[in-house]
Amino acid sequence: MGLRLVVRTLSELCLTIGTLIVLFVVYVLYWTSVRADGAMANELDRLEQRWAAGPAAPAAPGSGPGTATGTEPAPDAGDAGPSAPPPLAGEQPDDAAVPPSPGGGTRRPAVPAPRTDYRSGASFAVMRIPRFGPGWVKPVLQGTGTELLKKGLGHYERTARLGETGNFAVAGHRRTYGDPFKDLDELRPGDAVVLGDGTSWFTYRVDTRPYRTLPGDTAVLDPVPAAAGYRSPGRYLTLTTCDPEWGHSHRLIVWAHLEETRPVAAGRPAALSG
Amino acid sequence: MYVWIWRHLPGNAWVKALVSLLLVLGTVYVLFQYVFPWAEPLLPFNDVTVDNGMPAGGAMTEWR
Repeated sequence: MGLRLVVRTLSELCLTIGTLIVLFVVYVLYWTSVRADGAMANELDRLEQRWAAGPAAPAAPGSGPGTATGTEPAPDAGDAGPSAPPPLAGEQPDDAAVPPSPGGGTRRPAVPAPRTDYRSGASFAVMRIPRFGPGWVKPVLQGTGTELLKKGLGHYERTARLGETGNFAVAGHRRTYGDPFKDLDELRPGDAVVLGDGTSWFTYRVDTRPYRTLPGDTAVLDPVPAAAGYRSPGRYLTLTTCDPEWGHSHRLIVWAHLEETRPVAAGRPAALSG
Repeated sequence: MYVWIWRHLPGNAWVKALVSLLLVLGTVYVLFQYVFPWAEPLLPFNDVTVDNGMPAGGAMTEWR
């Protein structure tokens, strides 16, 4: 009786632990992505609604000027002028002193200043990467907290704003929670990364092959990331995720520079239609 | 363990089977809703930032 009870309890314990592990794997591989896809779709819907409601956001490209709102676009951004983005309230330590000269072959954008509010935890832009397929559309949220990254990509709060001089840095999950940056290692120089904030489309071009570095290497977020080969101030984009795919020993970094800025009213950028 | 639970469930075999099923479903729900979300951040899949949410301190640059 004694031995039988011990053996039975032991085998039951093993069965239970095995079932637990299988369930956990299902949770990590499948359920987190189900939840994250739902959350990202919610964020995208919220952005669409906000852009559709806002006076500065024209209707969807191609629908013509005769929309119901009919107000002048961007009355709040008119005083800023096309070439002078509003100064940031001490958010950026370094590149505020940098003169706003476009570097590295970046064309001077001729669009109204973004009216994005960059509220912490809220989504403010949509990212598309044509190499990942036309269905790859992810919201970008302000901040890089653990909970936030379950709902989309995260913008490092102390880095530059979208399209501005400096380094616009974004982090995303490599695996789990929708696998947004699963294929980041497949990006190559020349690939387009397109971001829209409801007012403008920002087309960035990848300059480097994915760069592997250590988790503490915050220099990759510098306004002029030296490891990317940049030497002069410019409008840069940094994407970060973990490497290897399921590990956390390294980080994978991709850099890009702003190639084109076009108002939403001018239609989608060529990188998306091509 | 499972034999002990089975013995202490009320009713005949069918009722016991039904209650067992409910118990299993309840356990899975608790696991997915509370236990796994707590355990998952302990694994490395969440570390996708280079600063772990901290402001920049001493940075080490690697030149290629």
